[in-house]
Amino acid sequence: MSVLAIRQVTRTFGGLTALDGVSFDVHEGEIFSVIGPNGAGKSTLFNIVSGFDRPTGGSVAYQGRDITGVRPHALVRAGIARTFQNTQLFEELTVLDNVLVGMFPVTRAGMVSAALRLPHALREQRLATEEAQRLLRMVGLEEFASTPAADLPHGLRRLLEIARALATRPRVMLLDEPAAGLDSAETRELASLLYRVRDSGATIVVVEHDMGLVMEVSDSIVVLDRGRKIAEGPPMLIQKDPAVIEAYLGEEASDDD
Amino acid sequence: MGGAWRRHLPAIVSAALAVVVLALPLAVSDRYLLKVFMFVGLNVITVAGLAVLFGLAGQVSLGHAAFVGIGAYACGFLTARAGWPWPAAVVAAVAIAAAGGLALALPTLRLRGHYLGMATLGFSMILGIAFVEAKAITGGNDGLSGIPLPAFGALDLDPATASYLLVWGTAVLVLLLASGIVRGRPGRAMTALHGSEMGAQACGIDPIRVKVTAFTLSAALAGLSGALYALTVGFVSPTSFALETSIILLAMVVLGGTRSLAGPVLAAVLLTLLTYVDAILPGLSKEAVAFLQDWKGDIYGVVIVAVMLFAPAGIAGVARTVRTRLGGSS
Repeated sequence: MSVLAIRQVTRTFGGLTALDGVSFDVHEGEIFSVIGPNGAGKSTLFNIVSGFDRPTGGSVAYQGRDITGVRPHALVRAGIARTFQNTQLFEELTVLDNVLVGMFPVTRAGMVSAALRLPHALREQRLATEEAQRLLRMVGLEEFASTPAADLPHGLRRLLEIARALATRPRVMLLDEPAAGLDSAETRELASLLYRVRDSGATIVVVEHDMGLVMEVSDSIVVLDRGRKIAEGPPMLIQKDPAVIEAYLGEEASDDD
Repeated sequence: MGGAWRRHLPAIVSAALAVVVLALPLAVSDRYLLKVFMFVGLNVITVAGLAVLFGLAGQVSLGHAAFVGIGAYACGFLTARAGWPWPAAVVAAVAIAAAGGLALALPTLRLRGHYLGMATLGFSMILGIAFVEAKAITGGNDGLSGIPLPAFGALDLDPATASYLLVWGTAVLVLLLASGIVRGRPGRAMTALHGSEMGAQACGIDPIRVKVTAFTLSAALAGLSGALYALTVGFVSPTSFALETSIILLAMVVLGGTRSLAGPVLAAVLLTLLTYVDAILPGLSKEAVAFLQDWKGDIYGVVIVAVMLFAPAGIAGVARTVRTRLGGSS
């Protein structure tokens, strides 16, 4: 069953078309990658699916329901979590507290029960802390639990965002360039983490530049170029697709470095 | 064992302070001094709400004195003119102030940026005029007088002590409840929102809802402070709720610091006592007292600027830094 159905999604910014009639399906339980040269529209697509942006045209359906234009927090509650290319951590809070904030949609204590320290609020807080610690172990950050997020080594910040997103108990995880800034050992760690997340029952959608990682972990890939979908399929076919090769060769030819 | 001590130390210190504060009338016989300490308590109640709004949720209000005014006039009118019993009047006053806060926050917090600051400023200007012009309720410039002192049934306390205990008993209760909110799930959502709005949204937090809740809560506490002010002072006049009062309240939370109740409470104590420095330091020369009182507004202004420049996280931030350094070396 398709868990995400992107249909004819178009997004224009003034005269610029960032996305032009993009359609594809993401299926339950797969690791799905969105790739493409810089400026292909990948981040715009992510922002639309996660509710941070609205499409100019087209629709997004999640588990068969139209979610176009639904606000981000409501989508998180419905089961769509995301990480950011530019990490959006709570810098002053500890690593553990960052994950605890992620538990917000799955905990309930409101103003009154928190103010009165009602037993169920205290119990919920204790259970949430245990769960947050478990998630930190899962991503390998347990030793940093009481470190302020601002002091976390750069390569680990994305892992914390993944742990925080996992805390919301997502059905779909949108990861925006999770391997950016990671060395090869850390990227291997990330790949195994992605498998573990997928095996825990979440569908993963990745925007990623690291082709090695993409080809290794993806079940399915969509390639965007200048706002249009130019290819779709399993890694084997994408690697051989002439349109994809040309899009990337074009980028290399125009790059300065 | 040392760890357990350290963990419970803040609670033990808070409980001890609460006992000392509530027992103070036994040691202080000077009526005027007791009244000054009562004013400190009134500001502590308002500042507890602002500590949540500004220190946690990061929202600036330039008009909280107006909510204090709403609470004061509502409670004063209901007790002195409508003959309500004081506890019912206090509850109604808090509800009216909270409703005012909600009505102001709902439209303005949907907008991004500094609209809340401007809206609260405008709101306090409008109410400043309303307090003078709505003579039928407020008594205009003459003020609203004849508010009966609260009766405590069988308890026969002298008025100064009764007022002091009413205010500080409420303040201690407010701080206890507020600390639960600060440390619990709602406080964490506010802190997160202040840290990164996008990050908070990605955690399922609705920014508008959280900001509106924080604002309404702070307006309710300002209203509570105003209601108790009306009851204990017995007289309400419009000058008490001018812009200057809002700025003083803001100075207290800025100096007190972010993500903390203790910091803003300490700042509220210090800055309120500055106004009544003659009562605290009787030995101080008349000239020095006059100087401090004349330049009060400037002192508050300098405090805000200095804190913003040198310690943006306020007293609480400095305390956190010191604690981290000490913890690291031991």
